[in-house]
Amino acid sequence: MPAASGSLTQPEKLENAISSEEPALAVVDLWKTYGTNQALSGTSFSVKQGERLALLGPNGAGKTTLIRSMCGRVRPDRGEVQLRGRSIREPDVLQRMGVIPQDLAIYSDLTAKQNLECFGQLYGLRSRRLRERVSWALQWIGLEDRANDLTSGFSGGMKRRVNIACGVMHRPQILLLDEPTVGVDPQSRQRIFDMLDELNQEGTTIVLTTHHLDEAETRSDRIVIIDHGKVVADGTLEHLIESTIGVQRQVAIEATGIVTAPSGLEWDASRNRFVCFVDNVAEELPQILDRFRRVGSVVTDLEVHQPNLHHVFLHLTGKELRE
Amino acid sequence: MIRTVIQTSWRRLRNNPSELFLTFIVPMVFFSIFALIFGSRDASSSTPKIKIAISNESPSELSDRSVQLLEEQSSLRISPPNKSNGSKSNSSKSQTVKRETAQDLVRRGMVSAAVVFSAPKKSNPSDDMFKVEIMTDSFDQVASQVLAAIVQKAVMTANAEIAKKKPIDAGSESMSNGVVWARHNNTMGIGANFPQPPVVEVVDVIGGKKANPVVAMYASGIAVMFLLFSATTASGSLLEERENSTLDRLLCSRLTMDQLLLGKWAYLTIIGAIQMSLMFLWGALVFRIDLFNHLEGFAAMTLVTAGAASSFALMLAAICQSRMQLGWVSTIVILSMSALGGSMVPRYLMSENIQRVGLLTFNAWALEGYNKVFWRELPLNELGMELAVLTTCGFVFIVAARIFAVRWERS
Repeated sequence: MPAASGSLTQPEKLENAISSEEPALAVVDLWKTYGTNQALSGTSFSVKQGERLALLGPNGAGKTTLIRSMCGRVRPDRGEVQLRGRSIREPDVLQRMGVIPQDLAIYSDLTAKQNLECFGQLYGLRSRRLRERVSWALQWIGLEDRANDLTSGFSGGMKRRVNIACGVMHRPQILLLDEPTVGVDPQSRQRIFDMLDELNQEGTTIVLTTHHLDEAETRSDRIVIIDHGKVVADGTLEHLIESTIGVQRQVAIEATGIVTAPSGLEWDASRNRFVCFVDNVAEELPQILDRFRRVGSVVTDLEVHQPNLHHVFLHLTGKELRE
Repeated sequence: MIRTVIQTSWRRLRNNPSELFLTFIVPMVFFSIFALIFGSRDASSSTPKIKIAISNESPSELSDRSVQLLEEQSSLRISPPNKSNGSKSNSSKSQTVKRETAQDLVRRGMVSAAVVFSAPKKSNPSDDMFKVEIMTDSFDQVASQVLAAIVQKAVMTANAEIAKKKPIDAGSESMSNGVVWARHNNTMGIGANFPQPPVVEVVDVIGGKKANPVVAMYASGIAVMFLLFSATTASGSLLEERENSTLDRLLCSRLTMDQLLLGKWAYLTIIGAIQMSLMFLWGALVFRIDLFNHLEGFAAMTLVTAGAASSFALMLAAICQSRMQLGWVSTIVILSMSALGGSMVPRYLMSENIQRVGLLTFNAWALEGYNKVFWRELPLNELGMELAVLTTCGFVFIVAARIFAVRWERS
């Protein structure tokens, strides 16, 4: 029973394959102003079919406006959003998208099953098809045994799963998730990303925003960073690191009995450590330690940092993600 | 510790403008509304007047003069109004109606009471004095008592005036036109001819046969007020959906704002109709409201009233920014409308100006419709005006709700 299992049907897989050349989602030169606040300033990027894209940006960067524009809830002053080459303003195009808001956009005074039925019906599912999708969704989120319980009694993680399931009842080609794991414990986060991976493996394109950089690093194929309403970086993690801060490792050393920094190292007062960047840790680290020995200092601690998304983000925006 | 609790509570109140408003401003607002309703009664222009019809079955000098005196009373409004603007001597003729017409006007609620000057029976004129019949509608429980006193005064004054003009055969009880009046009233120590109070018979033409008239009157007032409260509370779901982004999700589906509002309107109307039906059913079973003989009118009134209340509730929700705001706005608006519209206090107790203002609330129209159904027992076609006003209100309110909801679509 492919329909009940949630797997794509053969025609759907064929449609995905045929149109895989065309971007699943294209954001084309979006501009939006609220009063004097320029929320979007020519934002453009695209998402390939079946891709997992993480959208990052500090608070106030225009992320929310961008997401709301992508799901048709904000009409941009200029530019447009296209799904497989068709504007989302065209009839029925938006139905291909599933939207998972950051808030728990479910009815807490309905059961899990009733919530799924409600949103399934709103997306046009009826009778047998609806029953099959509800059954699949309950299984997918692992709440079959709690199907008839009011969601008000659910844990945060369970509510999040119901929240996500309500957005995929109609089997969208593109899933837009706004901070899908905010406020949930690590186990639930893992569970949620396993669910999303399952959808992605079946061909669903996933666009998510997150404040967890590790999620963006490990759970996305590509990362788009926006700031001041513009895309400031777009690419894979490796590409972003290479194109911004390079692939050098940072070495931070804590030492005693030293007055001046050994040659090639700088004093980082905020961390109370000497720091330097190296291309090859295995070759260069012994030489650095030797410099400390020669000035009569004792190294008490040593850290080697691989450049990561956090460094890239700081480098590009000058801000922490939560600032 | 207690000081800390008080201090914290006060700080929380101070930081919450809505609660501050509800605590300190709303009571003053309501005081002002009720002061306006009841406090302006000393102003002669807005003093409530008793609307009456007069029937003079056998015109005579006494009855004509009595009618004239009644017309001169500032506390009475004679219906139908005298359009001739003629002299006062002619006015009584132009403003009197037939007994049947007067009774019909009372039954239809066009007047609060009718005064009928009856001719004495020819079979035994000496035994049957000049009789004044007051046909009342006990819906207005004050009018009949006040009117009886005014009529007695008018007839006695008229009689005294006539007596002055004509020589009186002392001891005779017969004056003129076969009217028995003057008797020596020695018990009062007057020692002169003094007119005996006329026979004033008060007849309740509507409520007299009803099993439980008072309950029938107030059931609709309470029902309409609670219908508004429950509809407004339920319409808060729209704001809840907006606050937790469910509205975004709903509007991303196939659902349009038009469908959402119409769906909610239909739901609120159905629930409101059920609520009203249950209340009247309870009233019928426990308080003997005659529901089952008025099902047609009740169904029509309930449907349009529930529809208008639902539209009104959705409009309030669409105007407000949050559920908390909706809470205090709806409390103020509904209580004000209920006070002005007659859900709390019968409108006949209000000044004429306030009664006119009350017609701007749909409570007043709903209550008038229910009164026509249960109190006056009028057929469905007599509800045309009330049904039309309520239907128009419902339409205007839902259109207004849709216009205000545009901002949610564009946000």
